[in-house]
Amino acid sequence: MGKLLLLLSAVLLHISAWAQGDTTITITTSGGLQFDQKRLIVRPNTRLHLIFQNKDDMAHNLVVTRPNARLRVVEFALALGEKGPALHHVPVMSDVLAHTVSVEPGNTDSLTVKVTDGAYPFVCTYPGHGAVMYGVVYATDEPEKLPPPSEDRNLPNPDRVAEAGMQHHHTNASGHPYSLTLPAVYRTFMPDCGPAAIAVGLPGSDGGQSYVFDAGSCRLRYAWSGGFVDNSEQWDGKGQRFTKVVGDIYYRDTDGFPWRVGNQAPVVQFKGYRLIDRYPEFRYLVNGVEVHELIRPRVGGRGLVRTFTIAPTKQPLTFRATVQTGIQYKPSVGRLQNNQIRLPAGTRQFSLTLSTP
Amino acid sequence: MLLSLLTSLWLWASPAPADTISDYYTIETIPTPPGLTAETGALTFLPDGRLAVCFHRGEVMLYNPQTKVWKLFAEGLHDPLGIMAISNRELLVMQRPELTRLTDTNGDGVADTYETVADQFGMSGNYHEFAFGPVRDSKGNLYISLNTASNGAGVRDELRGRYDSLGRPGRMYACVPYRGWVMQITPDGKVKPYASGFRSPNGLGFDAQGRLLVTDNQGDWLGTSKLYQVEEGKFYGHPTSLVWRPSFPQIDPLTLSPQTLDSMRTVESIAFPHEIMAHSPTQMVVDNSKGKFGPFAGQTFVGEMDFPHLLRILPDVVDGQMQGSCVPFFAKGGSNGTPLRIGNNRLAFAPDGSLWLGQTDHGWLGDRGIQRIRYTGGTPLDILAMTLTPTGFDLTFTQPIDESTARQLANYQVRSYYYEYHRAYGSPQKDVQIVPVSTVQLSSDRRTVSLTLAQLQPKRIYELHLGKLTGNSGQKKLMNHIVCYTLNRLRTQVAGRAAN
Repeated sequence: MGKLLLLLSAVLLHISAWAQGDTTITITTSGGLQFDQKRLIVRPNTRLHLIFQNKDDMAHNLVVTRPNARLRVVEFALALGEKGPALHHVPVMSDVLAHTVSVEPGNTDSLTVKVTDGAYPFVCTYPGHGAVMYGVVYATDEPEKLPPPSEDRNLPNPDRVAEAGMQHHHTNASGHPYSLTLPAVYRTFMPDCGPAAIAVGLPGSDGGQSYVFDAGSCRLRYAWSGGFVDNSEQWDGKGQRFTKVVGDIYYRDTDGFPWRVGNQAPVVQFKGYRLIDRYPEFRYLVNGVEVHELIRPRVGGRGLVRTFTIAPTKQPLTFRATVQTGIQYKPSVGRLQNNQIRLPAGTRQFSLTLSTP
Repeated sequence: MLLSLLTSLWLWASPAPADTISDYYTIETIPTPPGLTAETGALTFLPDGRLAVCFHRGEVMLYNPQTKVWKLFAEGLHDPLGIMAISNRELLVMQRPELTRLTDTNGDGVADTYETVADQFGMSGNYHEFAFGPVRDSKGNLYISLNTASNGAGVRDELRGRYDSLGRPGRMYACVPYRGWVMQITPDGKVKPYASGFRSPNGLGFDAQGRLLVTDNQGDWLGTSKLYQVEEGKFYGHPTSLVWRPSFPQIDPLTLSPQTLDSMRTVESIAFPHEIMAHSPTQMVVDNSKGKFGPFAGQTFVGEMDFPHLLRILPDVVDGQMQGSCVPFFAKGGSNGTPLRIGNNRLAFAPDGSLWLGQTDHGWLGDRGIQRIRYTGGTPLDILAMTLTPTGFDLTFTQPIDESTARQLANYQVRSYYYEYHRAYGSPQKDVQIVPVSTVQLSSDRRTVSLTLAQLQPKRIYELHLGKLTGNSGQKKLMNHIVCYTLNRLRTQVAGRAAN
């Protein structure tokens, strides 16, 4: 939960801190060379105590400059060259009002600065960082007269801020140099799945249907209708965050790996997939038996048809499918009994239709 | 004002060119398709001369340099960061969860099979668990490298692979199998843990001598970024991966003292001093152009994320062990208003001998896109080799040095220092010493300068600052003035010197 709050606070870029007198504000880093807060608003003549917590993977500093002096300070910092590290990349000049030391990842430092009235830039002056990693402290009694954050020239390039704030403006809504054609496959981080997830969007009415296949455990995890995925957070920055489900999840696998070969505990190995008319047909080994699985949307309503092609084996095969409220299973061969389907000996192809009323 | 007047008078009086690297190499930016977020994860050339590129959002695209047309080959990959062309229709791509073989089996120009070649390693779901490679040795073995996780984020409830809590402590950690390892994949498909002790091994490559080289990034246990020569079974110093060594006891490696860990590790062959050479070294590529890319044929180039330069490494071999130096390449380079950008994550030589650069930021510092450096002719005055002697260093240049400049002792300033091996993030330069150069000799062909230093000590870096050395009666200016030699071992006798 704490992490979620942190994440939320990191994406709400334009929340302005409001303060007066002696004020303490904590600034941290968010992904992609950014301070988590870029616009602080305090009363004039505030003695501002800024605590800088570096949560990034690389070292940063935080330098408060005189109004309109950010670029000059950044240039002078760059000119320090090899002397930079010893000076924490902070040039000795009157334009620098206050600064932290170099703050290694995980560490914290603070500074105190008196801001009378005006716009006081703050910036990381590490070589290269100064061009993108900055923000501004406004000391003002009239915050309503400040430009909206989107038009504020004291904040980093609006496009970049917009991207960090997940308001994407792409030539294609897909985020790719082409329109997304369904079926489509994304290997990505999905919630409620192992880390080797494969999201598949299927064509259909009302936004179509989608499912997640877990390439680690080689099984279908869940399915939803009404849309595919939103990758904007996953694509942003370093790739920690999940791709989001767009739509309503109507099915979740609750049984673990479904196949049993003989009486053996299942041992699986993912082998990849082949695209058939853009539909992925997954391939995996179950105790050495190769299984192919192709998942298509059910015709005539919400649901999936899972078609399995099984390599020859002398072992008996069982497929587990626990009865779930609101889900109907219909096997092509055999029948569902005690939450499992025993396949007749020699079965090479088997399909299971999964539907909702 | 006066100065500029004098300068312009001097320019007028003597039409000598400024002589910069941009007089020998040009750079251009390759247009990428509209709508593409060109965070370049990998690039290589197909046998037919087309460029194959992986991008962060999972696209694999092919670019025909003749027609300048981009085409989509594959999509939906998870942060692909490595590529190798097998044929015009078959690529190996390293993505987060696995090494994948992409094949266009029906010849329509688009991959239709995505075959898992190797996924026998763990994933905790931590963003820093990047996967790099593959590169291939002469026997057909493939090598990949697996980044450790970062305590900038945690691990997921559901993992792939066995969880080991002993690998969880620390800034960068390896709580699932083979994080921090280089893995070998044999031609018959076996996946074997090969070498351990890596933190963020974003560059793998074989040099022209067939040595497997891996770069690693400054951070915890790495006082500065570095390059290792990697051999089977060895441990290279970042401790957390030790938990996945079969013989390693059931302990948290961080409970071992730095002295113990130091005694277990194989040190880097070449250090890249932080701030001076590199912040984040990336991929290596051998200049296989046979001279089409200038005077550095056969040498290894290394990319760098934060500086607008590349690096060249100059290996030396002492007692059979590689050590040596690094020097910038194309520093301050640029032409027609196009500078070399930063974020040079991936490098590939085209069949025509031009060097293509794939750029990314990936949430860190960097630019995005693709640039290409082309050699236009002539010989820049630059350092071609640096070798240790029993008493100092021999520096060999691309062309004869003007004797008057070569013989000035003041043109050679040497600092030496080391970086501490410890748990903390990075290291300052420790025990910095100024090392006087006592004599300088010039070879009869005036290409090699032999320096005698007042003192040489092992396990230190020698940072050599070169002054205004010139060639061709002052017409040629030295391109790079700093070269850093990692001295792991002293050379005891001249007879021990080996060709590289």
